[in-house]
Amino acid sequence: METAEAGDPARGHGGQMMNAFAQSAAASPSAWKIDAVFLFIAVVSLFFFLLVEGMLIYFAIRYRRRKGAEEGATSEVRGNFILEVVWVLVPSLAVLAFFIYGYVVYRDVTTPLPGASDINVVTGQFVYEFKYPDGRAAMNELRVPAGKPVKLIMTSRDVIHGFFIPEYRIKQDVLPGRYTYLHLQPDLEGTFDIYCTQYCGVGHSTMRAKLIVMPPDAYAAWAAQGEGAKAAMSPPEKGKALMEKFGCMGCHSADGTVKVGPSFKGLYGRRVELAQGPAVMADEGYIRESLYDPGAKVAKGFPNVMPTYKGSITDDDVAAIIAHIKTLN
Amino acid sequence: MEKGRGAGYGVYVAVFAALLVLTGATVGVSYIDLGIWNVAAALLIASVKATLVALFFMHLRHEGRLVWTFALVPILFLALIIGGTLSDTLFR
Amino acid sequence: MTENTADGTMLSGGGRSRGYLEEKGFRSWALTLDHKRIGALYLYTTLFFFLLGGIFALLIRIKLMYPGQEIFSNHTYNVLFTLHGSVMIFLFIIPAIPSGLGNFFIPLLIGARDVAFPRLNLASYWIFVAGILVILGSLLRPMDTGWTFYTPYSAKTAANVTLLSFGIFLVGMSSILTGLNFIVTIHTLRAPGMTWHRLPLFIWGMYATSIIQVVATPVVGITFLLLAMERLFGVGFFDPAKGGDPLLFQHFFWFYSHPVVYVMILPAMGIISEVIPVFSRKPIFGYKAIAYSSLAIAFIGFFVWGHHMFVSGMSKTAGIIFSFLTFFVAVPTAVKVFNWIATMYKGSITFESPMLYSLTFIFLFTFGGLTGMFLGALATNIHLHDTYFIVAHFHYTMVGGTVVGFLAGLHYWFPKMTGRMLSEKMARWGWLLTFIGFNLTFLVQFYLGFKGMPRRWAEYPPQYQSLNIVSTVGSWIMAGGILVMFSNFIRGFFRGDPAPANPWKGLTLEWQTASPPPTENFEEIPVVTDWPYGYAKRKTAGPPPRFFDRGAGDG
Repeated sequence: METAEAGDPARGHGGQMMNAFAQSAAASPSAWKIDAVFLFIAVVSLFFFLLVEGMLIYFAIRYRRRKGAEEGATSEVRGNFILEVVWVLVPSLAVLAFFIYGYVVYRDVTTPLPGASDINVVTGQFVYEFKYPDGRAAMNELRVPAGKPVKLIMTSRDVIHGFFIPEYRIKQDVLPGRYTYLHLQPDLEGTFDIYCTQYCGVGHSTMRAKLIVMPPDAYAAWAAQGEGAKAAMSPPEKGKALMEKFGCMGCHSADGTVKVGPSFKGLYGRRVELAQGPAVMADEGYIRESLYDPGAKVAKGFPNVMPTYKGSITDDDVAAIIAHIKTLN
Repeated sequence: MEKGRGAGYGVYVAVFAALLVLTGATVGVSYIDLGIWNVAAALLIASVKATLVALFFMHLRHEGRLVWTFALVPILFLALIIGGTLSDTLFR
Repeated sequence: MTENTADGTMLSGGGRSRGYLEEKGFRSWALTLDHKRIGALYLYTTLFFFLLGGIFALLIRIKLMYPGQEIFSNHTYNVLFTLHGSVMIFLFIIPAIPSGLGNFFIPLLIGARDVAFPRLNLASYWIFVAGILVILGSLLRPMDTGWTFYTPYSAKTAANVTLLSFGIFLVGMSSILTGLNFIVTIHTLRAPGMTWHRLPLFIWGMYATSIIQVVATPVVGITFLLLAMERLFGVGFFDPAKGGDPLLFQHFFWFYSHPVVYVMILPAMGIISEVIPVFSRKPIFGYKAIAYSSLAIAFIGFFVWGHHMFVSGMSKTAGIIFSFLTFFVAVPTAVKVFNWIATMYKGSITFESPMLYSLTFIFLFTFGGLTGMFLGALATNIHLHDTYFIVAHFHYTMVGGTVVGFLAGLHYWFPKMTGRMLSEKMARWGWLLTFIGFNLTFLVQFYLGFKGMPRRWAEYPPQYQSLNIVSTVGSWIMAGGILVMFSNFIRGFFRGDPAPANPWKGLTLEWQTASPPPTENFEEIPVVTDWPYGYAKRKTAGPPPRFFDRGAGDG
């Protein structure tokens, strides 16, 4: 799949992105977008900072009383309503602007990127494990081809960890028992640090990984070379086998037929009407929950009869099953 | 506020009995399957019990406006912590 | 000895009275019901933990001079930053101003003889001590979770989390009782004529603080109980494997721990609002705006806890709501800053040490507050969260703000509390060193954070080393400043010049009684006839305005 898109023209635009701080190239669009927000807040704040500290220092010098001097006459003014209104309104407008700009860019960098390839991330004390769609896995080293967006699907084996790429200006905590996501647009080739930012034990500060953004052809070569070392089955294949083993296909179909339960065809990413109330998005989290706690969100029109698979399947199995369901779209 | 204004032991015994009955009701309701309403019923009964304790045992019904304000305002904060947390869990 | 007898506060009898300090002996302190003595006990205790927490901080900084494990092990470091945070927050900064200065000065400022419940007050001090002992007991197997106790790590680690959280539970209980006591005191024991709009602004700050303490502290107490149940009985409130939710802990924790930063800062703002008009000889500008902004901060402060959780996996919807609300705490804060500066306009300003600290407060707190803008905005937060930027921001607001405000209060009220003056020269040296050291320590940390260095890191890549060395050197200068300051306190306590009743010519009621005040505070309870900020000096000579009459009634 990677090889097919090795010649992706998207690669070209990467290097031209300008960092809002320096004239150096930004590692990712998220970096310069967030830097732009930083710069905007910095400039407006600097104005208020100079205003306040300037007045503070100016008044302190201008109205000082020399040692031993008589107390000078001072004004009896106790307040000024218009001034109070002004300094309620002006900061309100400034912070409103901060909020809106911050929100817009946040929405931008947390929105899934079209055409992204999925990479599963499993964290544990004190390592990152990356699992590629074709079954390869790597510790503490995330290799991606430049120019091609990536969606990280992250979960933790034990405690909460962090996933922070300073050069990309983005981070996301990784939780046990749930999936969280990070959307990467790797534009610039090179090696970038990944840090754990949530205190997780004695090895917290050495829990670091590398993001290696490779030229697409080099990446393809690497992926092909890793072919031999990869797991016997890719996650979707493993998922398919597991689902047969656990008897899932007794109640669910892969082709759209409605059996006891809803079909898996086109399930991933669809909105599912629930018996209990509003609809939910059938994402990784929903599928996982439905395996562990099937009664929590039952699809509308279906009986609440599915048994829980909690204890009988591992998190790895769940990831494989999700990978398989995704192939049925 | 002076204690025991008009209220004899009778009122306290009655409230105590009501609390016992409501405790029984909590246990009883848990045997009936009402779906999500089980939680609602349990919370409702618990709130009624708390109200009884506050009004009678804690003498809230004899108190003035200031004490009532201080008794009721924290309910807003309770609503806030529940609402704020739901704004997370409902939209995940 | 020249007493300032303008207000007739000389006590009968030969020689100088030691006021409330007259009685000696352990029992007279341990079982005292005098709010001033209880306040003093709190101050001694909290100042001790300030020094202890400071030693932890110095050790942390020494370790961080090197990127690896050169000085001591990572585990030791992790324990140190947990202890630094826990001690500084729960044993120093939360109780210092409210329970220490608040206990001492709330009755004096409102013209009362004591707090509403003196016995409860004593009980709350001893519960505080009990909490401290439990916390010290937990050091046998010291904790390494950070002061935030995030689950599931805190539920799994072998350290003594249960004991430490129980100690904090007790400290919190003491804090609730103190807050309750203050609310009732302010409602019921104001001197005759002291209406709400004649209250000194320190009282407004303390009132807002007390409400937060009473409303928010129970939540953290219960959260720690849930954590203890999880550790002791395996109840899975926060354990996803048992259907719990680790983020629930963070919601509960921050529902308390965010408002509690206002417990720390509001009384400090109250102190600044007292000091600025006294040393500017001008009425406070915008009294009502400052008073109500305290309540507004306390209130809005309850709506913003989610801004600690933008990258935690909380829903985006919640993130957007909390980011929006967060920014609106900035507005009442800005209102206060502008009003303080407007108070100085056309004043007749002197720069004794309390004023020096108050101006430093405005300077540093403004900077700290503005750096908060980057953290409130969602986009920049996802970069800066959990980095040294947060550490620097927090220390600018809490040390540059609260601690500096507390020091302003200590220097301002030291003559009143001890009956002795501090050395102004030493106070200035202490201030200068602290100011330089503080900025050197924490300014560089903003840059470290922007460059991506995460907080709570025992080791770091070598590119961060040079700035860490700068920061460590700064911490030594700051420690030198604090050392000078404390020497000054000790010297002043034993050998300082006798203080007049009203060395700063303040108009609030505490200055209208002797230094140190007698046990009953006032010979006669004053009757208040105006607000306490009539500092303006008319061009034509005349008697200074008085805002109180003496002795028209008692209690």
